[in-house]
Order: sequence, then C-alpha cells, then structure tokens
Amino acid sequence: MDKPKSAQERMQARAPEMELIREAQAGSRAAFDALVRQYEHQVLRLALHLTGSEHDAEDIYQEAFLKAYRYIGNFRFECSFYTWIYRIVTNLCLDQMRRRKTRREDHAVVTDRSGDEIDLLANVSDDRSFSNPARELDRKVLGERIQAALTKLTPRERMVFELKHYQGLRLRTIGEMLNTTEETAKNTLFRATKKLRLQLAGLR
Amino acid sequence: MNCELAQERIVTAAYGELPDEQAHELERHLAGCASCQAEREQLRALKLLADAYPVAEVDANLMARSRLRLEEALDALPPMRWYERLSQRTTNNFASLQAAPVAALLLLVAGAGVGSLGGFELAQNRAAHAAAAQAARVQAQPVAAPAEGATIANISSIVRQPNSQMVEVRYNQVVPQRIAGSLNDPAIRQLLMLASENSASAGVRDDSVGLLAAECRAGHGCQATGIRDALMVALRYDRNAGVRQKALEGLEPYVAQDVRVRDAVLEALLNDADPRIRTAAINILEPVEADTSVRQVLHTVAYSDRNPNIRTVSRQVLSRVPEIQ
Repeated sequence: MDKPKSAQERMQARAPEMELIREAQAGSRAAFDALVRQYEHQVLRLALHLTGSEHDAEDIYQEAFLKAYRYIGNFRFECSFYTWIYRIVTNLCLDQMRRRKTRREDHAVVTDRSGDEIDLLANVSDDRSFSNPARELDRKVLGERIQAALTKLTPRERMVFELKHYQGLRLRTIGEMLNTTEETAKNTLFRATKKLRLQLAGLR
Repeated sequence: MNCELAQERIVTAAYGELPDEQAHELERHLAGCASCQAEREQLRALKLLADAYPVAEVDANLMARSRLRLEEALDALPPMRWYERLSQRTTNNFASLQAAPVAALLLLVAGAGVGSLGGFELAQNRAAHAAAAQAARVQAQPVAAPAEGATIANISSIVRQPNSQMVEVRYNQVVPQRIAGSLNDPAIRQLLMLASENSASAGVRDDSVGLLAAECRAGHGCQATGIRDALMVALRYDRNAGVRQKALEGLEPYVAQDVRVRDAVLEALLNDADPRIRTAAINILEPVEADTSVRQVLHTVAYSDRNPNIRTVSRQVLSRVPEIQ
C-alpha cells in the first residue's frame, strides 16, 4: 500500500498550480493554503539563512504570506508564481536587513573574539592545511566568521550572493526577483565576492 | 581580454553562467596570466569557505510554529467581499489590455469617437447659441438624487459638458432588497445558491446550505438546478465545519446514483479537517461500498488514517460486507 500522504499533498498532486492560483484569487482559502504548503519550506529556509535568526525568519514568513494573500488578486501570470512570491520575500528580507544594519551601526564596535592569527583564504587555498588536524578550524567558528563577513555586505549584495551561491538561482531569475537586470545582478555578485574575499583575507 | 574583464568572468564562470565562447577566451587568458590564476584560486577558496555556513533544513518546530501563527492571522482576516475581488479582477483585466495592438486599436477608436463627438458638440453649440433661452431652461433641470437607502458602489465616469456648469456622473448603486417566496421558487433558489458560496457570514452560509440540503433530502428536484453543485462546492471549500456538515447531509441521497457526488464525499473522507465530517462521510458511503473506488478509499483510511476512531469506523463498515472475490 502506498505511503499515506497528507491531505495537502494530495491536493497538490491533483490540481496544477495555475488552477490553485485561480481558485485562491476567487477567494478559496483551501487553495491558498495549498500554495503556502508548496512554498513555505523554501521561504523559511531563505529567510532563516539570510537573517540568521529564527525569530526574524518567522516574522518574514508571516508577513510574506499575509501579503501574498492580500495581493494574490493582482498576480497576472506574467511571471512564475515562484518569482512572484520570492519577490515579496526578498523585499521583506531586504527591509529587515536594512533595519538591522542601521541598528548595528549604532554600536559601531567591531569585535574579534578569537584573536587567532590566520588568514582564512590562505588557509583554504593551501590543501595541506585542511589535511592537518592541528590547523583545521572548527567548522562552527568558521561558519560564524562567514556569517560575520556576510553581514558586512550591503543588503542588496548580501541578497544576490544568497540567491546565487546558497540558493543556486540563475542570475536572470535573480534580476527578475529584484526588479533589475541580469547585468546588474551580475555586477552586484561580482562586488559581493570581491568584498567577501577582502573580509575573509583581512581576518589576520 | 584585460584582467579586469577576466576577473569578472571568473566569477560568472565559477557560478556556471559564462557562455561557452567566453569561457574559451577566459581559459586562454588564464593560461598566460598568473595574477588572474591566483584570482581564480581565491574565488574557489571563497566558495569553499562560504559553504561552512550551510543552508540548514528548517527545524520542524519552527515550521509548525510559523504555520500556526499564519493560520491564526488568516482566520482573523475578514474574508474578501465579492466586490473587492471583482474590482481586483477588473483592474487586472484592464492592465492586461496593455498589449500594444489592443491599446493602439483602442486609441484609434477613442480618437475617432472624440473627433466625431467634438464635431457634434460644435454643431450643438451653434444650435444652442441660436436658441439660448431654450438651453437655459434645459440647464435648470433639477438633479435626480440617488435612490433612498442605497449605497453608492462606485463612480464609473464623470463628463463635464464643455463651456457649461453641467456635469454628467455615471454611478452604480447597491440597493438593499428583500424577497420572500417558496423554496421551490427558482429565484429564491438562485439566491440561496449565491449565498452558499459568496456570503462573508458563516451564519448566512450555514442557513442557505441547510435549506438547500433539506430540499435535496426531501427529493424536491435539485437535479438540474445546480443545487447539487452548490452543495458540492460548499462541502469542498467552505471554511466552516458546520456548513460542510450540512452540505454533506444534503448530498446523501445522491451518493448512490451520482459519481461526482460520490467523488466529493470520498474527497471529504480523505481530506476534511474535521473528524466528525469524515466519520459522517464513511456512514454515507456505506450503501455503495461495493464501488471499487469507495472500497479502496475505505481501505486506505482503515489502515493509515491518523485518527483511531476513523480507522475503527471504516473497518467496521468494511467488515460488514463480504469481500468480493
């Protein structure tokens, strides 16, 4: 016998997305819920990785889907629904990051907790360093450093880097989501990688 | 290729977005440029490093918490009125007319219209000058006020007559009405069906579905009139469990003969959020358990439903009928 599936999954398998959107536009809450189920994991994952905070991610999830519910009538099938919902989410994330940035700049204190004298980039590009357990960095500490370096980017650079590096989207899609061109997205990605390399190389 | 361009392309290439012919050029440049090679190594290192902050799967608690909060917020929202949806849709339709040829045609038609109207107005003005006294009398006509007790839904156009104080306003009114009549009256049925789908108030939906269901149960011809469809819509989509329950009851007499009704009830059995409705669905399906799709669904529910009660009830139903060999 088949593995029992949830009601939502069955609904999804039956009705193609367009149908669901139409029904949601006509006011069906069940159809809207089914759409939410299709995208909620990606939305939450993106918001969580971008903000690094469960609390913020939860807020963004909430606001994004409430917004989608309110404005689903305005969706005109000109882009994919995926792009549309991501556009809402990325906008909310950008706002959130901007607010955070101003808050953080108020403190204006840069802390270097560990005081390790290492050049991270030099370390990684040298193969031997990873094979040597004595010099291998704790992955968690490393992760924190990456996160810190990412927060030094402008919200837009951070967003493009996130969508490209971590979410693996095409530059053209990223451009569409951020209401800009593929070329601009490419330039932003270039700036982001450049800054990140400086950040990580400068940790000595 | 200069180094600046090469460095940009190193990034695009690293993310798999460099067209093949440019990739080839880049390779040639890299072969002879040590600094750009170092650049590429650095970028590779960065990509490797960045993965130390991986995208984690979302924690189930966080997911459940977010979901719950959203559902509460959505439940608290007032449902969108039909006219709000209508206005959204109208805006959309209008926006989709932006397609250039249609717009051009419209412009042409509008231009022609304005042109002939202008000519007409000019001729009229001359005539008006000739008979000024008469025109003055026409202008003094009293303005017809909107009907008593009616709400103005929207203003569709405002046109001012050139060189005068006259303005023509076109508007639509929502006038409260009342109608009383027999349940057999098609007009009453029509209104009940509308209420079952569109009313913002769960109470009104409940009343209308209840009445329609009673009609169906009493066998008062809900065949061709679409009442059955209205009940199926209510069973599938209404947010209020009470309304869905009534719709289910109304559909009961048709489970045996109408496959669409049977499907709707099967769907309710599988998907409905409320266990009471699912239990009721099982009982309604009992007379037609010989139908293979019904048996299949009952089997599924009997062995894999999360609710133990429903598992028991469906097993009982299945056990009452001998297995068809």
